[in-house]
Amino acid sequence: MMDFPDRSAQEIPHHTLSLPALTTLDIDLQSDPSPRLITILSSISSAPALGSITFRHDKWSNIDQSSFQGTWVDMDRLLTWMAQRARVQGGFSVTLKWWPKDKPVWEGFLRDFRRSGGQVKTYVHS
Amino acid sequence: MNSLPQELIDAVIDSLPRSSLLSSSLVAKQWRRRSQQRALERIKFRSEAQVSRWCTDFPQDPEGIVSYVHVAEFAGIGSWYDPTIFGRALKSLGSLTELWVSKTGIPDELPGQITRGELGKEITVLRFWWSSCTLATVMSVILSLPSLDVLSIAHPGVESKGPLQSHPVASQRTPLDLLGLWGNVGGIGKALTKSGFTFRRLSLDVDLSGVEQLIVLSSETMVKLTLYGV
Repeated sequence: MMDFPDRSAQEIPHHTLSLPALTTLDIDLQSDPSPRLITILSSISSAPALGSITFRHDKWSNIDQSSFQGTWVDMDRLLTWMAQRARVQGGFSVTLKWWPKDKPVWEGFLRDFRRSGGQVKTYVHS
Repeated sequence: MNSLPQELIDAVIDSLPRSSLLSSSLVAKQWRRRSQQRALERIKFRSEAQVSRWCTDFPQDPEGIVSYVHVAEFAGIGSWYDPTIFGRALKSLGSLTELWVSKTGIPDELPGQITRGELGKEITVLRFWWSSCTLATVMSVILSLPSLDVLSIAHPGVESKGPLQSHPVASQRTPLDLLGLWGNVGGIGKALTKSGFTFRRLSLDVDLSGVEQLIVLSSETMVKLTLYGV
């Protein structure tokens, strides 16, 4: 029987993982980002070729639009941190994909990332 | 009709819906080969009886119409009365490049047949979806396919119990193009890590146990990362 360490022993320390070839990061969400997702993304220290991050969500309008609390704040901080270290020309862009029947309100969403000059695009699934 | 260039006929056939290919194969001799190639490019077996008939009707024939089959799916065959039939069918499909196994049991005999070079040499795409088998069997199949490039497993039925030897073979391979893992397949993820596989694209269920190690192992080669189910 193979013997593997448990998950807690497998977590990568924050900002220690270098991904030199990574150009595209896609994230499919069914609800708010989980702490585990934040932990995994927080492990990235360098992704110099990263030009595009895309979020898909089953229903953006289910998110509490008034506050964008919780792990969305963590995600916003993380994206801001990554954007400040982006090396691709023009920085990387964040694309939010949504379904036509959804009625997302993007105001206030990823505020820190936008303030730091990050580009946020929205895209409607056809 | 006979004066039409073959390229034009082929282009017409390529634009036809699958349901018309039987008819188009009967238009003229020039239409037959391409129509059959398209009609048989992808086949799906839904029962052991179908697989058995295939083995009887189309024994190994590298030059025959069996060579037109590039994608084979075995679906809904939970267990096999004759566990050798799966392997025999694959053996007859010498041009197979994609093998899809969904809700189908994988006989323990299969990895041995692959290892002996009897089948699967050209398979580049392997998809296991909701198929029941042991982790050892899945890993043996994966490790035995020399041309494997795309691996996709959604697999709550994998049994992790039983002995699983370490397979440090993947270091001799170039990075595979894609790994997709969804559902309760943490055992496979860990075994792939242990074997040293690296990938250019990873599509992973973020709740998968050992997801970090898969990412770390492919950190130098990975160009695209997709995380699901968060």
